[in-house]
Amino acid sequence: MRFRIYRYDPESGAAPFHQEYDLDYDPKGKKVLDALIAIKDTLDESLSFRRSCREGVCGSDGVNVNGTNVLACITPLEGLKQPIEIRPLPRLGVIRDLIVDMAQFYQHYRAVKPYLINLDPEPENERLQSPQERAELDGLWECILCGCCTTSCPSFWWNPDKFLGPAALLQGYRFIADTRDQSTNERLDFLEDPYRLFRCHGIMNCVEVCPKGLNPTAAIGKIKSLLVKRAL
Amino acid sequence: MRRVGGSHRGLDMWLLQRASAVYMALFLPVFLVCTLCSGPLDYAAWRGLFEALAMKVATFLFVAAMLAHAWIGLREIFIDYLHCARCTLLRLSLYFAFAVLYLACLVWTVDILWSVR
Repeated sequence: MRFRIYRYDPESGAAPFHQEYDLDYDPKGKKVLDALIAIKDTLDESLSFRRSCREGVCGSDGVNVNGTNVLACITPLEGLKQPIEIRPLPRLGVIRDLIVDMAQFYQHYRAVKPYLINLDPEPENERLQSPQERAELDGLWECILCGCCTTSCPSFWWNPDKFLGPAALLQGYRFIADTRDQSTNERLDFLEDPYRLFRCHGIMNCVEVCPKGLNPTAAIGKIKSLLVKRAL
Repeated sequence: MRRVGGSHRGLDMWLLQRASAVYMALFLPVFLVCTLCSGPLDYAAWRGLFEALAMKVATFLFVAAMLAHAWIGLREIFIDYLHCARCTLLRLSLYFAFAVLYLACLVWTVDILWSVR
């Protein structure tokens, strides 16, 4: 199998380049991550990439394969056009090879205060929700913060420092939608500016690439509806 | 300089763009029906179409909605693509230039519509 992989080593001082690898490998039942590990094991031990759980749960191996952001560990090798071009996630700074600097991404995530804010005294056991209220959170809490959606969004490419990006907005809505949270107004205040939320033009790249099948565009739409309801 | 918080101007613009789109979507079919019902489309019929005050006002609102829609769209484009450190002045100048241009178009529309008697 032929691979074309983005390489960058800041210590060498050389500009980033693409390196071709020919790997004798049976793709049947294998994923992109398996091939990356095989390349590292047999052809080039200097190839660097992140991976941890290797089953689509931890979200650490988000890469761009043949132009689409994916999780390497759950993307089948079979059917991929060769040479399989593997690049780091777009728009984030590259630390080395396929490893990107997620600092900006996490900064936006922290900015939406991804935790429950409830100033009532803590109940003895737990804060209760009805099954319907809990169902509101489905499709929101499953996000693994791999960054595939945010780095596929042109609005994030143009304004990475100001537009929060689909992942952070999805998480923002996860706590806005939570009936146990008491700071909905403050959360909406924070999002009501021309950049943080309203750079989203609904092109839905995020929905297309999300490896967990989530829909950040719908969550963003719901935040907009809430802003409108509050304003009128 | 320290970066300060949100300007709270995202929602009004977004809402105004949607509202103007709704008005245009409502006006255009009605206008088309009125035009088709006014008989053969010669100069006299076209002129007659705009003689009623209601049509003048409705058309004026349509042009106003279209210009507002277009200005907000341009603003979105400028915000998306002009964001270098020194672009703020350029962006503000462009907002201003297009606002003046579109307002001029609106005044011109009034002049054209109300010249039909």
